[in-house]
Amino acid sequence: MSPRLLALIPTAVAINLVVGQVASELALPVYLDTLGTSLVAVLDGLSGGLLVGTLGQLLSGMLRGYVWLAFTPIQWLIAALAALAAARGGFGNTSRSAAWGAACGVACGLTSAAISYFLFGGVTATGVTAVGALFRSAGFSLAAAVTTASLLTDILDKTISFILLGILLRSLPLRILGRFPLAARAVGR
Amino acid sequence: MTSLARRAHPFTPATVALALAATAILAPPPAGTLLVYIVTVVIAVATGGARGVALGIAVCAPFWILLLIMHGVMGDEPRTTVVLGVALSTTGLSWALEQGLRLAAIVTASLVFATSFDPHRFLQAAIARGWRFDMAFVVVATLDAADRLREQAVRLREAQRTRGLRTGRTMLSKARAIPALVFPLMLMSVMEADDRALALETRGLTLVGPRTPIDPPRDRSVDRVIRWAALLLVAAAGWWRFG
Repeated sequence: MSPRLLALIPTAVAINLVVGQVASELALPVYLDTLGTSLVAVLDGLSGGLLVGTLGQLLSGMLRGYVWLAFTPIQWLIAALAALAAARGGFGNTSRSAAWGAACGVACGLTSAAISYFLFGGVTATGVTAVGALFRSAGFSLAAAVTTASLLTDILDKTISFILLGILLRSLPLRILGRFPLAARAVGR
Repeated sequence: MTSLARRAHPFTPATVALALAATAILAPPPAGTLLVYIVTVVIAVATGGARGVALGIAVCAPFWILLLIMHGVMGDEPRTTVVLGVALSTTGLSWALEQGLRLAAIVTASLVFATSFDPHRFLQAAIARGWRFDMAFVVVATLDAADRLREQAVRLREAQRTRGLRTGRTMLSKARAIPALVFPLMLMSVMEADDRALALETRGLTLVGPRTPIDPPRDRSVDRVIRWAALLLVAAAGWWRFG
């Protein structure tokens, strides 16, 4: 493992944990707990993103309960899509970041709905479950309520995450950006 | 006084917590999951992890309420169980009870382990076992980084408030606060990681070869017996469910 990746991984996992906590304290219907995973996937490539996602989920499981380890594939999916977006210059401006974020949100929302429905009966994080309960009370079946709630919250969450990530990448000093060829390509430099 | 869990070899509480989580998944509900939750609470209290039990209840409480609403109140017919004048779905309530107990056992086991976990003892134990140093370092460095970043997030929020940031009651004002709270934190973290990479390289952290543990925790026979017993517990739960 390179020293740069060794220094980045703890920081990225900490970003996942702490920014997720900030969003939760603001009581927003978004998680923002995958920013670190997508950041490393964009800076260092897919393998770094996969490592951050797995480790982050393990540590977050230790602090919130191992049950949430079931959502580790979502972290892998985000790492893969963020690396793909970076390779295609997906963070060059805000609208491109938002489009890639929304696409990532659809993929993650569908996957997370399947995990949530089959393993947890639709009861997972409080925000998304509350949205699901609203749809359920409106007459949706459990599967439809869970899928709609997951899709809506994930699209919003990943779009905001990718927009923030794009702004961050475009603000990085050239001396740092120059060390990460994939990130430079992501912002079109 | 140091708790039993903190005095044990670092791999022992980790193995017990993982074994309890696996047993909670495998044990037949609701009797099996209830038994696992009771065993988890007893082990936690006996080893000085009562705080983890209280934290577990606090973490699980919202899920129990949501499980009751989603499956008990909004569950499928027939509705034969009446609680406080509300007719609840019988199958939904039964599923909510199973899932609630399983969640409680797994969350409590995780939190009791987290409250007794000492990252630096874990690093020494990993070195003594000859584990890959970079992987063990990443676990410890991440826990340190999370604490540091959490403090920075609190300081940053206070600083932004003095500059006029409002995290008001409306969703829009909260959403507007996100960039001001998150962006500086991430930028600062990336810059720090860049500096730290240089420090790690000059300190030879990426060199391969065996390391010498300074003060490795003792792995006593009782630790080994407990770890094997934990694995047997998982096998027994599997046999109870599928045997």
